[in-house]
Amino acid sequence: MTARKPKLTLLSACTIPLLLLAACGGSSSTGGLAASQVLKFPVYQSPGTWDPGTADAEVDQEIQQNVFDNLWRFDDDLNIVPDIASAVPTQANNGISSDGLTYTVHLKTDVKFNNGDAMTSKDVLYSWNRAVALQGAYASNLSAIAGYGDVQKAAGAPPSNSSGSGTVSFQQNIENRLAANDPKFMMSGVTAPDANTVQIRLAHACGWCLAAWTLEGTTGAIVNEKTVQTDPVNWWSKPVTPGQEGGMVGTGAFYLSAFTAKQSMVFKAVSNWWGSPKPTLSEIDIAIHDPSAVAADVNAWEQGSFDLIGYGGDSGVLTYPLIQGIKGNSRFSSQLVTQPKGRTTWVSFNIGYPATGGPFLGESATAKGLRMAFDLAVDKAGLVSTVCHNVMCSAATGGLVTKGLVGYLGDGKDPLAKYDPAQAKALLQQYDPTGKLTAKLKYSYNAGGLNDPVAAYLQNEWQVNLGVHVALDSSSDASQFINNRLTGKYMMSRDGWQFDYNHPQDWFDNLWGYLATAGGANTSGFDDPTFDSVLKQADAAPIDQALPLYKQLAEILQQDVVYIPLYYSVANLVIHSYVKKAGSNAAFDHYWNEISIQSH
Amino acid sequence: MFTRGTLLYIGQRLVLIAFTVLTVSFGVFAVVHSLPGNAFVSDRVHGRALQILLHEYGLDQPIPLQYWNFLKGAVHGDLGVSLYIRGLPITPLVLRELSVSALLGGAALIVTIGLGVTFGVLAAVRQNSWVDYLLTSIAVVGYSVPSFVIASLGILVFGQWLNNLTHGALYYPEPWSGTYGTLAELSLPALALGFYTSGQITRITRAAMLEVLKQDYIRTARAKGLQSRVVVIRHALRNALVPVTSILGPTVIGVITGSVVIENIFGIPGLGKEFVESIFQHDYNVTVGVFTIYAALIGVANLAVDLVYVVVDPRIRY
Repeated sequence: MTARKPKLTLLSACTIPLLLLAACGGSSSTGGLAASQVLKFPVYQSPGTWDPGTADAEVDQEIQQNVFDNLWRFDDDLNIVPDIASAVPTQANNGISSDGLTYTVHLKTDVKFNNGDAMTSKDVLYSWNRAVALQGAYASNLSAIAGYGDVQKAAGAPPSNSSGSGTVSFQQNIENRLAANDPKFMMSGVTAPDANTVQIRLAHACGWCLAAWTLEGTTGAIVNEKTVQTDPVNWWSKPVTPGQEGGMVGTGAFYLSAFTAKQSMVFKAVSNWWGSPKPTLSEIDIAIHDPSAVAADVNAWEQGSFDLIGYGGDSGVLTYPLIQGIKGNSRFSSQLVTQPKGRTTWVSFNIGYPATGGPFLGESATAKGLRMAFDLAVDKAGLVSTVCHNVMCSAATGGLVTKGLVGYLGDGKDPLAKYDPAQAKALLQQYDPTGKLTAKLKYSYNAGGLNDPVAAYLQNEWQVNLGVHVALDSSSDASQFINNRLTGKYMMSRDGWQFDYNHPQDWFDNLWGYLATAGGANTSGFDDPTFDSVLKQADAAPIDQALPLYKQLAEILQQDVVYIPLYYSVANLVIHSYVKKAGSNAAFDHYWNEISIQSH
Repeated sequence: MFTRGTLLYIGQRLVLIAFTVLTVSFGVFAVVHSLPGNAFVSDRVHGRALQILLHEYGLDQPIPLQYWNFLKGAVHGDLGVSLYIRGLPITPLVLRELSVSALLGGAALIVTIGLGVTFGVLAAVRQNSWVDYLLTSIAVVGYSVPSFVIASLGILVFGQWLNNLTHGALYYPEPWSGTYGTLAELSLPALALGFYTSGQITRITRAAMLEVLKQDYIRTARAKGLQSRVVVIRHALRNALVPVTSILGPTVIGVITGSVVIENIFGIPGLGKEFVESIFQHDYNVTVGVFTIYAALIGVANLAVDLVYVVVDPRIRY
């Protein structure tokens, strides 16, 4: 008996679906508005928080500025213009008292939250007092107002967290006290004489306050008390549902319509919005992607899946090869938008943290001489050419305040920007003839982006021009790196600052002044009573009188060789030509309500 | 179907799983909280603002107390809030991501079992023929090459070399387009994830089938004139599957753990991707939550496979 061989049919297991792409949908080419006014773009970080009271990152502020308003706002040229307030206060229009200590702000009368509530002076008081009590990263923007310290003292530290709900306890406590009009939670310097007037009294003269209060997405932004109280911790991440309380409610032109954490967010235009220009876009669709998806996203942008790339704090996300690819494509090269960004990167020397040691510590002639030697040994123009290919950054030759901002010293005005290898070598011979002091140097930086090639470049410059080997101390954990830098655990470190508002105080106070030192942000440990004294004068003066003082501060830093200037950042965005008015200034993206999509 | 003894066994296993999950979650909790750095510190957040944030989220408490707070919430299905997206409840986030991973894992298991059993049966039926050699060779390649290599090769082949031919049908130029992706988006990751273990199943199925095909009852069935297809599928395959089920446990665990790599390679918004991201972001609660879910999943998957034995082989009793 023989069994028949089984007749099994071997079926092919793989079926490859061939999807033919449909031809792109045609549309009229009349140059008018497109039928669909939905703007689509990717971002490469999830939001940290959109609560203006606690927000601390540009990526969040770029979104927030379209949902919340301040009393004033920065226009596309970074001028301060009225927003909720009817005018920018000056002494000429009686908005600022003759002693400069009292601001009287009249509010527009037609401002509404996007849940329909009218916005009044009480909302300003609530928002600002709340922000001060929360003590977030930008609370100090309101620090010159009388009663600031008292509110922070009253809010104190959060109550002890015993159930994992400490956040609620702390923030709920603030909400409860504000709702009860507890005077301890209200700055004595902010009052509301009537529903449309806010009076702000300062504890001391402040030349930078108006700019700081104008910084959008932070403590100066106006929030809706009723909404915040629905969920004091997490109200900001909830979409707004028409007819229901709660959600990310502001007075801005757009509201959060949908939010899928780590995936996407959708914002919709507020119908009958009170402000101007009225939004043309009906919807903003934002995909949250990994940074590794940038190349694929550029491809998708070329195919029309995205309208632009670089918004939302991601103007530095395009790599050099991608930029070159776009530049080399005649169809898209004109759609690459390059814009100086208000960020400077430099090398900090450890000057004031003895525990870490190092040859650059202190104010001795040796320490200063060695700092100068290591500065002069770096060819800054070469760095911009080699590392940035003259595309990703520009040479920082005019001081640490970025070119284009108030306080910029002028091209070539920073003596530390010089490159003089011969003098560098001579200084090294003079102050470290045996090479003992510079035998075990380290340069610390956080890995990623331009930091790695910059570190390699610096190492090579010091090796070639000084004959000194500097070990590279790379940290893949940015938070650990920042923590080490803030506590002075380094010899030389990558450092940098992106400006918040267009005023030199933002740089000098936050980086080297008494506020920075007290707040634990003085990364170099630089401490100079003269500097602090001049800074105090500059901060109190109107900008025209303050500028020479800030210049003096910059010179003090330069004479002390506190840093090695490296480069100013450059923003690179790709924006389809049919997206009108989209773009960026040195600080922020252009507002969504200015943008329209043309037929294409 | 389940005897009292079996139910007792299930109860014991569940207690063991709970104990394992507890141990694993505490271990991970202690380790991630000991890592340098935290989710909040930045150029802007330091000093007082940082201290307040740490306090708000209970991160300045002793580790055992923090763990106790986590545990109390976890028992009620509340894994706490994200530190990276501040205050966002984690449970809905990880449940969504779990469903994505489950979809991928399910698809990978279909690939694993489908390919593995089919190839194993064909190789056994055509023993020592070119079909056998070919499929056995594929199986050897399958269990010799890690899934991340298969994934990378898949991207290279379908994303680069054949992209014009397939118009991106098997490889998508963007990250996963929605929460669950499309069938086309799912296919390559599922293949990459399932191919590795399918090799082992091919090998075991082939061996088991060869043994079963030599049994007297198979000869009897053929003598009765049954079609080969019926003999192989209805009579041989069922018995041959018993040893296959014995490696289902490791296979499922391989798929679960392998998804961590595959999800990150393909940018799939599942639990595996979240796991890696949360570590880099110092999002402690998410890391611990995801790891705890993984531990529970692996425990439950092992138990489920043990129970499948009872169904496949009635001789097995607990």
